[in-house]
Amino acid sequence: MNLDDALHTFIVEARDLLEEMEDALLRIEQAPDADTINAIFRAAHTIKGSAGLFGLDHVVAFTHVAESVLDLVRSDKLPITAELVATFLGVCDHLGVLVDHVAAGTAPDDATHRASDELVNKLRGHLGEPLPAKPATAAAVQPALSAATSGGVETDHWHLSLRFGAAVLRNGMDPLAFLRYLTTFGRIERIVTLADAVPRLSELDAEACYLGFEVGYHTDVDKATIEGAFEFVRDDAHISILPPHSKIAAYQRLIEDLPHEELPLGEILVRCGSLTKSELAAALSHQSAPGESPIRPIGEILVERKAVRPQVVEAALDKQKQVKEHKRTESGLIRVNAEKLDEHINLIGELIIASASARLVAQRVGMPALLEAAARLSRLVEEVRDSALTLRMVQIGATFNRFQRVVRDVSAALGKDIRLEISGAETDLDKTVVEKIGDPLTHLVRNSMDHGIESAEIRLACGKPAHGTVRLNAYHDSGSIVIEVADDGGGLCRERILKKAIERGLIKAGQQISDQEIHELVFEPGFSTVEQVSDLSGRGVGMDVVKRNITALRGTVEIDSVEGVGTTMRIRLPLTLAIIDGFLVAVNAATFVVPLDMVVECMELSAQETEAAHGRDHLNLRGEVLPFIRLQQLFDIPEVPDVIDPEADGAFADDNTQSRYESSSAILTAEGAAALARDPELAFLLQPVKRENIVVVQYSGRRAGLVVDSLMGEFQTVIRPLGVVFNGLDGISGFTILGNGNVALILDVPGLVRRVAGREGRRTAKATAYALTE
Amino acid sequence: MSHPATVTRVAIAGEFSIFTAAAVRDQLLAALGGAAEVEVDLAQVTELDSAGVQLMLAAKREAAAQDKVLRFTAHSAAVLDTLELCDLSAHCGGPAATGAADTAGATP
Amino acid sequence: MTASETQSTRPAAGAAARAAAEPCQYLTFLLGQEMFAIGILSIREIIEYGYLTEVPMTPPFIRGVINLRGAVVPVVDLAVRFGRSAQKNTKRTCIVIVEVEAAQCGQEMGIVVDAVSEVLEIPGSDIEPPPEFGTRIRSDFIKGMGKIGGRFVVLLDVDRVLLVDEVAVLANLGGADCASA
Repeated sequence: MNLDDALHTFIVEARDLLEEMEDALLRIEQAPDADTINAIFRAAHTIKGSAGLFGLDHVVAFTHVAESVLDLVRSDKLPITAELVATFLGVCDHLGVLVDHVAAGTAPDDATHRASDELVNKLRGHLGEPLPAKPATAAAVQPALSAATSGGVETDHWHLSLRFGAAVLRNGMDPLAFLRYLTTFGRIERIVTLADAVPRLSELDAEACYLGFEVGYHTDVDKATIEGAFEFVRDDAHISILPPHSKIAAYQRLIEDLPHEELPLGEILVRCGSLTKSELAAALSHQSAPGESPIRPIGEILVERKAVRPQVVEAALDKQKQVKEHKRTESGLIRVNAEKLDEHINLIGELIIASASARLVAQRVGMPALLEAAARLSRLVEEVRDSALTLRMVQIGATFNRFQRVVRDVSAALGKDIRLEISGAETDLDKTVVEKIGDPLTHLVRNSMDHGIESAEIRLACGKPAHGTVRLNAYHDSGSIVIEVADDGGGLCRERILKKAIERGLIKAGQQISDQEIHELVFEPGFSTVEQVSDLSGRGVGMDVVKRNITALRGTVEIDSVEGVGTTMRIRLPLTLAIIDGFLVAVNAATFVVPLDMVVECMELSAQETEAAHGRDHLNLRGEVLPFIRLQQLFDIPEVPDVIDPEADGAFADDNTQSRYESSSAILTAEGAAALARDPELAFLLQPVKRENIVVVQYSGRRAGLVVDSLMGEFQTVIRPLGVVFNGLDGISGFTILGNGNVALILDVPGLVRRVAGREGRRTAKATAYALTE
Repeated sequence: MSHPATVTRVAIAGEFSIFTAAAVRDQLLAALGGAAEVEVDLAQVTELDSAGVQLMLAAKREAAAQDKVLRFTAHSAAVLDTLELCDLSAHCGGPAATGAADTAGATP
Repeated sequence: MTASETQSTRPAAGAAARAAAEPCQYLTFLLGQEMFAIGILSIREIIEYGYLTEVPMTPPFIRGVINLRGAVVPVVDLAVRFGRSAQKNTKRTCIVIVEVEAAQCGQEMGIVVDAVSEVLEIPGSDIEPPPEFGTRIRSDFIKGMGKIGGRFVVLLDVDRVLLVDEVAVLANLGGADCASA
């Protein structure tokens, strides 16, 4: 790892930490608890340490002041107030700016320095110290550290490290007696009993000694006298005696000499008052433990190269170490390059296609062992696919949490009291989707706050609580993730939208439109009903962009709004953009994939039913009306696939070309059947009577039927995007490659329904208009 | 202090040291085996040494492992003195934890 | 990963095609009885006309899509694109895979031709500017008129013929309508 990489790591981690810090700050106002405070402290602490590692003195100095204030909070000496949180949010932002400068390789400008000074002054206000007094403290860190490494430790007491052997008790000696003896010629300042070695009672050997002590001891006697106190136990115990103001190095040795102990010895030394924190930092940094955090080698390298001052590295290492440990216990996560992951998923896509064709070949060959192997392979591939896809899944919570800040800032700017409620934070979705959903969500949230939620006076007048609520919610629903942005504001005003739409010429006065259609108008480009353009939104740009962004993700957005009660914007997105479970259907010779999670059931469409539904495209499904779409009609699928015409080039016949059959009479011609029999892919057409099947699909609570010829079962579908040529094609969401190498179309069910409904709507509207003029 | 019947009381008397540790260990183990809550009365303890201290720690650990409650009560002066020496008063239920009126004044 | 390899070489190939427009090799092919030519630098390969998947609701000149070693490639019927009627497929019908410039990167597309003839070198001196009319195809589709054996052959500008902005479904509202009619 070179310095650039290390710096990059620092930048990435610092940004993560700032995010955590912000999160914690936003949480702490509602529920102040020690964990949250510690999280904030840790973030500041770590950034300071790491910044020091790279000699970013201005970052260190700034963070140090913040850390001092946080220390007071942590020790309950300073209460958490809204003002303090506000200051720290400022600190957080400012650190972000400083990190940005580091990332860009630029020096902070004057404005940044001014902002820095301003914040430092505010922080010192919290510290309750006169303003000029503090720089000395900030500057004092370095001398203290250098003193620690070069000279002795600050404390003026002895440090005794006592580990008693198991046999001590049996040999008739009581460790406590030694401690008592010590008190006869000195004072035990602090003592920590090391009880970690004591087992539970059932495993305790009552006569074996398990105890150890770390003692801060004040005395005027010399070392020999102290040693003499342990004369009788010398062979059975491990006794270390460090005189007052011992060198840091001695403490290091002490720590190193007891490597088998999983004790936070360093901390114990601090608790004993034998070491100060910075002294511990210095001591620990010299301790070399294999398998320790990867930062350590960098630190050493940096020191060797004299790139940075050793003291700074040491201070940083401690902090890095704490955080590493924290991270390790908390999550055990690794950071993976997203590109590598994408490449991995792409390869799995290839693997799925390859496995499908292997299976097809196996079927053709018909060798049982081969079939079995192919089946096993495809089962495994499916598992690999599923696990690979989950790798890309992230919880939406992190994205939601970012809105705490947005809501806080925006409500302050608007002068409204608005609270954010989050639910469904644990809902998983594809990382690619998460990345792209941030902007549209931000817009929707701002929109709700700005236009949705009324002023406190109006709210009170309406009998609502004075504070408004914006709710973010997420959940899974039939293969999609649904994200809701809801507010308890005024709702969309039908009249105002209508007026605006007529003004804009989007609709004609007197035209009958449903609420749903009115809500759709909001997504028209340049549509805004707000008279006053505010800073935040209301410029009429955005909602159309929101819709476009979501459509680009193969998603939809809809609005539920009740005037006076509130508005819910519902974004529906596919869970993944790469691979789905599909259901293969065939219409004539064309094959289509329906996303499996939209399929509710399949059934045969009998001749009677077709008869009964004659002229109408709906049927009675167990007492419910089920509108259906005839794919063959909608897509105008030719009964004969477009193939090489044998007439044009003599008596040439290809295997898969002769699939003529008459769908109207549903009877195959003899030569067609013979041709089909030779082609396993088309053999399904050999059913004696051409039957129609109906696939019942469901999305956003609506059901529809797709009329197809045959059902071919489940199929792992690797989605190939539509590409520039076909992008935006309503009704088709992508391509996929079948096992036989042919391309099949993936149906976009909502798009299909929209298409059909839109057309019918236009047709009936036209008919109505015609009837009226007549 | 009144306790429900499920509380088993054990009293340790005299020397609580290396010489009695093995017996006390068995006594406490048996008590823990039969009850959800064990109260160990230390009022009659005249001497507490390292073996006693670590036995107390081990008993606490055992109770925790079994998801049971083990309390030391009525610490005698000898017990308090030793616990204070090791700075274990908080851990093994010193006067602050038990609130025993007769010993509350003994330590600040 | 052949797809990404070709993609990375594409911009250079495109530039080279333009630079070397003068003395260049051309592939001649037939649409009906008429001969056309395309500079070979934009041609990736020629494949037999095999299974093609039709895409509904698209303009008529889009025949469909094929699987080209895992990539889904749109196929355009040149005859229909030129406003003529589609020819019946024969054993000699081929798909010529070409690369055209799209938004940022190149886009592979197939064109259906009735028969591929040969690869010829046409010196710059034998290329005339396109006539203003008389070829019965849009003049901006024509790069020039190549003289081959005393006859003039239309040299097509594939980047114009297959201009993504024109071919793309969204840009062809008429196409969507006619498919759904």
